[in-house]
Amino acid sequence: MSGVNVSRRNFLKASGVVGGGLVLGFSLTGCSSRPVPVEPVAGAFVPNAFIQITPDNRVRFYCPRDEMGQGVTTGLGTLIAEELDIDPQSLDVVFAGVHADYNNPDFGTQGTGGSSSLRVHYRQLRQVAANVRDIILEAAARDLGAAKGDLKTDSGSVIADGERHPYGKFAATAQTLTAPESAPLKSRGDFKYIGKDFVRLDALEKSTGTAVYGIDIDVPGMHHAAVRRSPVAGAKLVSVDKSAAAGIQGVTDIVEISSGVAVVAEKYWQAKQAVAALNPTWEIVELGSVNTDKIREDYLRAIDAEEGIVETEGEIAPAFSNAAKVLENEYWAPYLAHAPLEPMNAVLRIENGQADLWTGTQGPAAAEGLVSRFSGIAPENIRVHSTYLGGGFGRRGVLTHVIEITEIAVATGKPIKLLWSREDDIKHGVYRPASLMKIKAGVDEAGQVTAWQAKRVGGNIMPQTLKNMLPGLLPGVPASIINAAVGLSNRAFGSWTIDESSIEGLFEDYDFPNREVSHVTVEHQVPLCFWRSVGHSYTSFAKETMMDELAEQAGLGSVEFRLRNTKNKPRLNNVIKVAGEHMKQMRPAEGRYLGFAAHNCFQTDVAQVAEVSVERGQIRVHKVTCVVDCGVAVNPDIVKAQMEGAIMYGLTAALHGNLSHRDGTIQESNFHDYPILRMNESPDVEVVIIDSEEEPTGVGEPGLPPIAPAVANAVYAATGQRLRSLPLTLA
Amino acid sequence: MIEFTLNGQIVRTDDDPNTPLLWVVRDTFKLKGSKFGCGAGLCGACTMHVDGQAVRTCVLPVFRVEGKQITTIEGLGSPDSMHPLQAAWTEQSVPQCGYCQSGQIMSAAALLEDNPSPTEQEVDQAMAGNICRCGCYVRIKRAILSVAENAAVEDNGLAYNAAAVMPEVQS
Repeated sequence: MSGVNVSRRNFLKASGVVGGGLVLGFSLTGCSSRPVPVEPVAGAFVPNAFIQITPDNRVRFYCPRDEMGQGVTTGLGTLIAEELDIDPQSLDVVFAGVHADYNNPDFGTQGTGGSSSLRVHYRQLRQVAANVRDIILEAAARDLGAAKGDLKTDSGSVIADGERHPYGKFAATAQTLTAPESAPLKSRGDFKYIGKDFVRLDALEKSTGTAVYGIDIDVPGMHHAAVRRSPVAGAKLVSVDKSAAAGIQGVTDIVEISSGVAVVAEKYWQAKQAVAALNPTWEIVELGSVNTDKIREDYLRAIDAEEGIVETEGEIAPAFSNAAKVLENEYWAPYLAHAPLEPMNAVLRIENGQADLWTGTQGPAAAEGLVSRFSGIAPENIRVHSTYLGGGFGRRGVLTHVIEITEIAVATGKPIKLLWSREDDIKHGVYRPASLMKIKAGVDEAGQVTAWQAKRVGGNIMPQTLKNMLPGLLPGVPASIINAAVGLSNRAFGSWTIDESSIEGLFEDYDFPNREVSHVTVEHQVPLCFWRSVGHSYTSFAKETMMDELAEQAGLGSVEFRLRNTKNKPRLNNVIKVAGEHMKQMRPAEGRYLGFAAHNCFQTDVAQVAEVSVERGQIRVHKVTCVVDCGVAVNPDIVKAQMEGAIMYGLTAALHGNLSHRDGTIQESNFHDYPILRMNESPDVEVVIIDSEEEPTGVGEPGLPPIAPAVANAVYAATGQRLRSLPLTLA
Repeated sequence: MIEFTLNGQIVRTDDDPNTPLLWVVRDTFKLKGSKFGCGAGLCGACTMHVDGQAVRTCVLPVFRVEGKQITTIEGLGSPDSMHPLQAAWTEQSVPQCGYCQSGQIMSAAALLEDNPSPTEQEVDQAMAGNICRCGCYVRIKRAILSVAENAAVEDNGLAYNAAAVMPEVQS
């Protein structure tokens, strides 16, 4: 346990280094001299890494971000289509290979996460496409002997004297020209596709079983691998009795790898049987003595310690003395697994000094780096073939399965498909950190929150992210240096600086004139990772249930109270106001009650009203009204889908999600004891999108944080019970 | 050697008779539309029709389907000739990550075959075995009910015009 005073300045400085939810804001890939991984069709126009126009007028879009369901191929494709002036449905979307040109500008590497894609690519990809359209017009002017100013474009054709000429016709001439740097962008009034609803570009494939995920890849000679890992994270193999497993039909290899023991067989089913027949012994590690009760006790001790202040504003002590009412409460959130429906998997073929990796990942550049580090093959001889992701939610940013498959392929010399079981996924995952939070707040007679003192105890994601990502992002740097950097970051985040993702959302949303935020790091060596909406997934629960309690103390309604305390946050204030108007119109049937919550994260504002009943001790959510301001909604229907999905994901956490440790081992294993919300428990959802002129902000995560407190506040209205522990359980 | 009918074709396999049907279909017969999600019959991603019934094939040993009729998502319809449910799924942008959707559609198809005009509660009941981790339930339910309604309106079984609901930009 540790915690040290850090000034506000240092806090902001640290936030700058680690902001945004993924990793470091500078380029780590350093591979810009490599050719772009675009395979040109004969005679095609390839102006940059993102677009290829073939002579038969097909337009390929090399999508720099990964599609995990958030609709990024449609969203980014729409930006390209808008400025290139083509129908988005006519785009051939290709998942980009690895190249610095595809970096996420916020992360400095090729990563998808932090609800960032539309925000960071909104101007960039439109500019790329506008420049390409300009060069096609230039080529058309030359080929047709026309004045460029007399030419127009429409849906993939140049219009000259009323005649249509497909773009592809000018590919050869365009290829000889240099694109302008900054062709003018369309103004909002001229948008044909941005802001309009149309069918997702991947809907057809995903409705006919033809979309290809990592698990669907087969290569000739491929063998199937399964891995036995220590039940306690981090424990190394001491010895293994392989005899029973080796006798199973089809088993070809049993190899020891860094995470445990891998079995390779001709068929997956054989590998699965054999891996269960292994008899391994694991080393004893500290985590092996940890139970959930101990974790909670350690957190409880830390939450009362006078340490760990990371942020102060105003004067907290006099504010409490002068407050009309003061409340103090503690809130608990457990470890959670992401449980994407497609378990971790990859296919790797190493042949003639060349490696081909197929996998659905949120970090293809890091995947390439890991293959390089663990095979010794230079990055330029590795091709990463990204597939659709069968769910991501942050889980597919951690690539231990890529390390495993590389070790297996190197040891066996065979092309390998590695597949994790669901039990592997739940028991050997990287988790949303458990958190204990304490909030003490004071409110004055006018319903203004005058003092807000918030503290969080738990582990930090960021040092683990560095540990997971640096080996892949810096494949040429020796392990000893990486380990030293990771050790340094562990000490830093444990003592002198703060991981923003540990406390984000706990204090920023309201006009608290006097506030104090503290953090105490308590680690139990449980592997941690970004989980949809990261820190906001638990801080919103504490903050928004406390706000509801304060509203009651102040004698004000949930909406009015929040409006009074968001005078300096106009966008959040407006979302609360609009949601409040909808709440007034809701007429819950007898026995149903409404709960309200609002939250800002990833620069998007969301307010939700949950309609809930409690029957025989069971919480049932019937309807959720969700108001979102995400700037320009590039595809409003996908914005709605993301709100719907985030609400369901958040409801799973609010009503069911709970992982427990016994002797350092995760007790849950599959969907019977780690249940996911099902259709018969799912509410109707109505989404209202605020019309906005501002540039787009993310929608993949912000729909999640308000739902747990909105339901908890409705449960209070229904029963008088304040639930301060997740998952929500009635006494 | 085990013999069964897969999407109308007679097939034979010498896979271990205890191998779940899912792996035989995916790895031996290379039809990849049916997915692996849990291996315990809990999530429904592997759902196929066995003699017309929706069955979780990740826990169904292949010897149990000797002589039976198996239909997978590939046999239900194709991009060029979609089942009405697939057309509705596409038109209404139901999928997010898409991984569970083959299983969802197979469960929904079995439901409508059995009960062409289900109530919302009957849809909930029939679909409760299929997890969608992205939480597309609002749209899955809406799509099923729209197909049922369409079929009832047309009084034409399930033969509604897939071409009429193909993706199209609406301004």
